[in-house]
Amino acid sequence: MGSSLRRITAIKARLHARLTLVVRLVLAAAMLFAASPSSGAADSAISQLDEQCLACHSSKGMEMKLANGDVLSLQVEGAAFAKSVHSKIGCAVCHADTSFENHPPIKRKIAGSREYSLAMTKVCESCHAPVAKQYEGSIHAAQLRDGNAYAPVCTDCHSPHAVMAKQAYEASTGAPCSKCHDPIFTAYTGSVHGQATLGCSSCHNAHDVSAASKGDRLKSACLGCHQDALEAHQKWLPNAGRHFDAVSCPACHSPNAKRKVDLRLYDAVAKERVAEKEGVPQFESRARLADAKGGGLDALALRSLLRGFNSEGTDTTLRGRLEVSTGVEAHQLVRSAQAIRDCAKCHQQGADPFQSVTVSIVGPDGRQVRYGAKPEVLNSIISVDSVSGFYAIGGTRIKLLDWLLALAVLGGIGAPLGHMTIRWLFKKYAKRISGKEDS
Amino acid sequence: MHRIYVHPLPVRIWHWINAFGFVVMIFTGFQIRYIGLIDLVSFRTAVVVHDWIGFVLIGNFFIWLLYYLFTDKIRVYHPELSPMKHFRASLRQAMFYGYGIFKGDPNPHHVSVYEKFNSMQSMSYQVIMLLLVPLQFWTGVLLWDVKRFSGMIDMLGGVRVVDTAHVLIFIFFSGFIFMHIYLATLGHTRMAHIKSMFNGYEEIEEEPGSGK
Repeated sequence: MGSSLRRITAIKARLHARLTLVVRLVLAAAMLFAASPSSGAADSAISQLDEQCLACHSSKGMEMKLANGDVLSLQVEGAAFAKSVHSKIGCAVCHADTSFENHPPIKRKIAGSREYSLAMTKVCESCHAPVAKQYEGSIHAAQLRDGNAYAPVCTDCHSPHAVMAKQAYEASTGAPCSKCHDPIFTAYTGSVHGQATLGCSSCHNAHDVSAASKGDRLKSACLGCHQDALEAHQKWLPNAGRHFDAVSCPACHSPNAKRKVDLRLYDAVAKERVAEKEGVPQFESRARLADAKGGGLDALALRSLLRGFNSEGTDTTLRGRLEVSTGVEAHQLVRSAQAIRDCAKCHQQGADPFQSVTVSIVGPDGRQVRYGAKPEVLNSIISVDSVSGFYAIGGTRIKLLDWLLALAVLGGIGAPLGHMTIRWLFKKYAKRISGKEDS
Repeated sequence: MHRIYVHPLPVRIWHWINAFGFVVMIFTGFQIRYIGLIDLVSFRTAVVVHDWIGFVLIGNFFIWLLYYLFTDKIRVYHPELSPMKHFRASLRQAMFYGYGIFKGDPNPHHVSVYEKFNSMQSMSYQVIMLLLVPLQFWTGVLLWDVKRFSGMIDMLGGVRVVDTAHVLIFIFFSGFIFMHIYLATLGHTRMAHIKSMFNGYEEIEEEPGSGK
């Protein structure tokens, strides 16, 4: 037993110079935790070893120039770090690649600050695997996969040396979402939800945030809180279920928004929206091909586009959805008493939502890929088949049927009047003839 | 002049409920389709009335259907089973309305208990009552709750297809109702047919030389 211990001590001694900083610091931190009951207290006091790091790294203006010319700040605010949840684990756990041998001077080269952030996400993942998995399904991760190097990664939302517990995020400031989505957050603060200081993640989730237009998740988020919404609407709104399917919540609950119709390609067999196949985008090229004149798809072009999608034996149709034009408008939700209740806002010819039409498909990152269409596609007899899944009584009525109706009514009134006139003329004529004969 | 009982009470009840209902349906149909152009009642009121009256008419339709299915009066719709004879009679009737009536020719159709309709009427009413009206009710019910019937609507080609069928039949009835009223005034007096639909009795003029 004693000899084994001696051997281990000897090996440790030999490897001492090569041991990385992290192992030593973690061990030291663990010893500190064990030795001092107060070190694990909620005040998140910084360990002595971390103090050593901060001795240099709290210096103002400490930075390094990276290979691409970026300047990476190396300064860590000691007070902020002390308050952060990561103060308990210390510097070395995340900076395990920094050893006594390479620090200082820095031997490895960092290509750029963005590359460094991307590389550091791996470090986050090593402890936060479930969250990382959620993130993988998010629109942010999809953007990253799509080649957008500036898509948000962990450190963009969570300041690495001041990361706080979930509860500490201040919903009223919108942080960290407002950093990128400021116009939306500004609009949101004035909304009924903003005034109630609900945070962004209440509807969008924190890490698996998805594209606003993807699936029914956002509608489900609304209905998750407003569970009696359908029942409440059924009391006054005819066809409430249909309205819930074809009209987005903000279309009525953001009354000042400019609204539009999005005709979504829908696979009638699979019963889901058509999505672009990854790596082989075809929607836009097909739409451009169909829209030879380039002014937006007209009724014939829309038919041609659908034929293209159905050429492989699929049953692709279009399902319309009435929505607001911008993300800002989608967040300007008002109290239900101020929401649109006047059916005529949509159900009449020339109504605002039907002046702007797009056709869309789900893009590879979950966001919609849209192509403009002419408003006439909603009123053309040619679209009966292609726009079969969208119809707003009054608002998208087919013009040809208006003419037919006028003809039917005029014929219905005119034919009896004509018949009566001929009868009257015959009678008069017969009288005149018979009068002449009498004389 | 003598009277024949041609319109039994159930038929008269059905007819006037149907007449009132169709007028309301056409009126509210116009209001629903042309809100902004016609603003006599709100869109929502028009829809609610349209829905309720629609269901009343569906119930009322079964008065008509069951009465004719379970009485021998069904013969009024097919007194003549020979298609050729029926076609010839229809042609004669068309010739009368298109020309003979102007000269004062007698109506080629003679009303009796089992022949209250002329050939054109019996044919067109069968198309209306057995095809157009049920189709209109069916499409109307589908549009009443699009979500509930979404499976069937999709099977038929989508909500726009169903609505277009509904509107096409609406167009037909909007024109037909004027013709129907006008043709009802072509009895031996203007009000003769209309009166008979209230009291059930059709007044038959004695033909010259019939000895009646």
